[in-house]
Amino acid sequence: MTDVELAKQNGEELLKSKIATIKNPFSYEETAYHLPISFALTGLQVHDPEGASDVFIRMGSNPLVAAECILAEGTASGGKAPEPYTGFISDTVIRKLGYSLVDGSILGLALIVGRPCGPDAAAAICRELQEKYMLTFLAGDVVPILTGAGVKLGLDYRLIPLGPTPQYGIHFVDIIARVAVMFGGVTPGDTSRLLTYAAERAKAIVIVFPGLSDEDVALVDGMRVLGFPILSLDGYTGGEWIHTDAENIVRTGMEKKGIRVNVVAIPIPMGCSPAFEGKSIRKEEMYLEFGGGRSPAFEILRMRDPSEVKDGEITVIGPEVDQMREGSANPLGIVIDVAGKNMRKDYEPVLERRIHNFVNYGEGSWHVAQRDLIWVRISKEVVAKGIKIKHIGKLIASKFRMDFPQLLDAISVTLITDPEKILAAKKEAEAIYEERDARIKGMCDKETTTYYSCTLCQTFAPNHVCVITPERPALCGAISWLDGKIAYEISPSGANQPIERGTLINAETGEFEGVNKFVRKASHGEIDRCTLYSVMEYPMTCCGCFEAIALMLPEVNGIMVVNREFKGITPSGMSFSTLARTIGGGAQTPGFAGISKNYILSDRFLQGEGGIERLVWMPAQLKEELRRRLTQKLAEHGKPEFFEKIADENNATTIEELMTYLESVHHPALSMKPLM
Amino acid sequence: MTYDVNFGWTGTIGNVLLGATKADGGSREVSYRIGGGTTLPFLEKPVGVKSPLIAFEICDNPVYWSPIIRNYCGDLLDDLSGWTKAADKQYGVDLIRLYLTSTKQRNFSEMAAVGRAVETVLSSTGLPLVIEGSNEPRIDSEVFQKCGETGQGERLLLGTAEASRYRSIAAAALAYDHSVIAQSPIDINLAKQLNILLREIGVRHDHIVIDPYTGTLGYGFEYSYSAMERIRYSALKGDVDLAMPMICSAIDALTVKEVREADPVIQDEMAVTWEFYTGLAAAVAGAEILCVRHPKTIPMLRAALEGMQAGAGRAGTAGGQ
Repeated sequence: MTDVELAKQNGEELLKSKIATIKNPFSYEETAYHLPISFALTGLQVHDPEGASDVFIRMGSNPLVAAECILAEGTASGGKAPEPYTGFISDTVIRKLGYSLVDGSILGLALIVGRPCGPDAAAAICRELQEKYMLTFLAGDVVPILTGAGVKLGLDYRLIPLGPTPQYGIHFVDIIARVAVMFGGVTPGDTSRLLTYAAERAKAIVIVFPGLSDEDVALVDGMRVLGFPILSLDGYTGGEWIHTDAENIVRTGMEKKGIRVNVVAIPIPMGCSPAFEGKSIRKEEMYLEFGGGRSPAFEILRMRDPSEVKDGEITVIGPEVDQMREGSANPLGIVIDVAGKNMRKDYEPVLERRIHNFVNYGEGSWHVAQRDLIWVRISKEVVAKGIKIKHIGKLIASKFRMDFPQLLDAISVTLITDPEKILAAKKEAEAIYEERDARIKGMCDKETTTYYSCTLCQTFAPNHVCVITPERPALCGAISWLDGKIAYEISPSGANQPIERGTLINAETGEFEGVNKFVRKASHGEIDRCTLYSVMEYPMTCCGCFEAIALMLPEVNGIMVVNREFKGITPSGMSFSTLARTIGGGAQTPGFAGISKNYILSDRFLQGEGGIERLVWMPAQLKEELRRRLTQKLAEHGKPEFFEKIADENNATTIEELMTYLESVHHPALSMKPLM
Repeated sequence: MTYDVNFGWTGTIGNVLLGATKADGGSREVSYRIGGGTTLPFLEKPVGVKSPLIAFEICDNPVYWSPIIRNYCGDLLDDLSGWTKAADKQYGVDLIRLYLTSTKQRNFSEMAAVGRAVETVLSSTGLPLVIEGSNEPRIDSEVFQKCGETGQGERLLLGTAEASRYRSIAAAALAYDHSVIAQSPIDINLAKQLNILLREIGVRHDHIVIDPYTGTLGYGFEYSYSAMERIRYSALKGDVDLAMPMICSAIDALTVKEVREADPVIQDEMAVTWEFYTGLAAAVAGAEILCVRHPKTIPMLRAALEGMQAGAGRAGTAGGQ
């Protein structure tokens, strides 16, 4: 056992005494960067003993500087390492290599040093690194052990033997120093930028086999300052190294450094694409179904500790497709466990909603509803192609991996088809749904000063800006405040940007200085003011995606709402489509606002006009859709009778009929402050 | 009357350098600085800037080129060096834009030939070059690596990066110090997004030229015009992610119905007319580089641009007339 801490101290002393013994001048050929590490760190061109000790002292006796100088002098006096070793690598090769890193054909760099006990473990690690598009450098005894076992080395194989001793591992660092200067815009001598680049942009890991000398330990440990995780196998204790086993070492290292392999195709026997999202599976095309009131089913996504999630693991508990009768309804519990450095518990429900899209991406899989109301079908066609329950898990896991690479480091999916086991799991899930509801329900606009914009629709409505608050979802109904927040975290330069609301201008209409400022800029100077809660004064712009339109009816001193599904003529004299044409395209039209259906349930709805009592008319279908939640809301506010006072097409199709109806029910809008 | 031609704008279009002369470590006889505008085109004369530039488009495998050009230029198309020299000396263009059409062949793998084509053009002219790499994502990595390496030190303009494939070209630009063309499909937001993606990967703004995608006059140019106008407005209003010069190439100008079906006697004239008016309109919309394929379009465009530039700067003179 080597104690890393002790070995390092001893090794650093040894390096220090060695650098003092350097006598001859030295330099590398085929580089414009002198001794690259020393040059990048200090901007000084080191070519002789004086220069070496000067930089060494300036850099606080850094072991990397010492190792670089010592090896450079050794190479100058003793010659380059013999074939197959590369020794110092020329700038031309580094340029190509950096190219591959930027280009994405190499995902990251790994250094392997030390002496593996046998070739198998080392070969397996190298193979895994190759498979994961890592470029691997080797230094020391690991090289003859691999070549002895017939492993092919060279740039073409992405396995590069640097030199016969671990000290050649210093070239790994000089390569990164040069990449930082060539590609990262780091000016030689700008130490802090170099370190930042190495830590944040250089995707490098170090794997250590047993058998390092104290000097080697000092060199390898010195690389920690560059933010490279040092992963060791047997033989080391203490220090800040990560001790792990051969099977997990590559994965652990890549996770630590945030290197992710992109999944390109999902290896299941059916097509997966958003193109299939809209198709449905009719009863006669269906082979199996799950849920939909016919059998217990649910879905849940939970955040877990990284140690509890084995990435890519798909487990089926209970019978598979071939053990189910054609045409039958079966239980299905979809349990997704995720882990990720940037993952947060708040994101669970938002990610969980994506299961719906992902399952529908499958050519022969169909999904509706959410939580414990889900209904899933699998078609005969794809069952004939060999689709199993586990493939649905694979599809979900792969899609999450592709769509949320910044958020998720590991995803595992468990599918429960066992009729007994699903009941307990479902109960557990239901407890979590309740918890979540309680958490999200409370969120109101006052609790935060940061709202989110959405300019996704600027592609066709160039000056449109949605302002999304906890109590006012985007007008399309598809993006809540939380979604906006997550979208911003996932893609910081995307269409959802944070808006600091700033100083309050008008509490009733919900006008804020910060919001105005943001909207002015995001609308390219077209819109100067924008209220959050008013239809009459400076309402939000409308792209064209609104779920519903709220508009004033001055004749009855109220506001009506019509949803997209309603095909008839409204009391305003216009149909939804006519109205949509009038107000869409990114314009601000006082008296009209595009809204989401859920916004009707918000306490902020029509606040600028005096509240929900302004609401005079809604299509019957929309009323039905909202009935349960809206009556509950109204009861909470002590006006349970109001729901029935809202007219629909059954009691009013014209403005005259509406007036008559409103008078007959003593609608409160009639006696409110005049709208105009 | 005094006109303020600055409209209170605060932004400036960034500069991009094209080509490197001996003094800058390259072998070009000239180099250009483009961009630098502070208002709409032809209302000012930015100092030290030559624009719009006219680029002549050629290719290394003429099978994929318009028969109209084949008819006009004849065997020249089979002689890359001769074609390049003619563009430079006879036609009098500012830039040569080489399309590596050879990479369109099925299972193309002759990377050495790509390098040779770029070398041939480099050695046949002293003008700065625009190089259009592969059309096939599979070989992007190798093609752009080769182009970048062959042109190292020459400050090429490499095309064409798109949102779905920009990494290889960005890598070539970073590794060998070239600039890139960033193309988006007639959409200001996508144009901006791509510029941000390029910036995040490390390509500096002064190494990017925007290609808004140019529809031909009568075949969608109005959309291009509108996108260009908005890109320029945003840039002048201070959006640095859009404050880059623009390049326009209406490659369909030679294949639109009116040209394709024209009487052979007037087909050349028709083609040139179409190219000329599209190019001129693109210049008015703000393009800094105009690309053409018919040699006869060049003098017409040159004369028209000079005429328009003659009036530049007058309206804004302090004190007015």
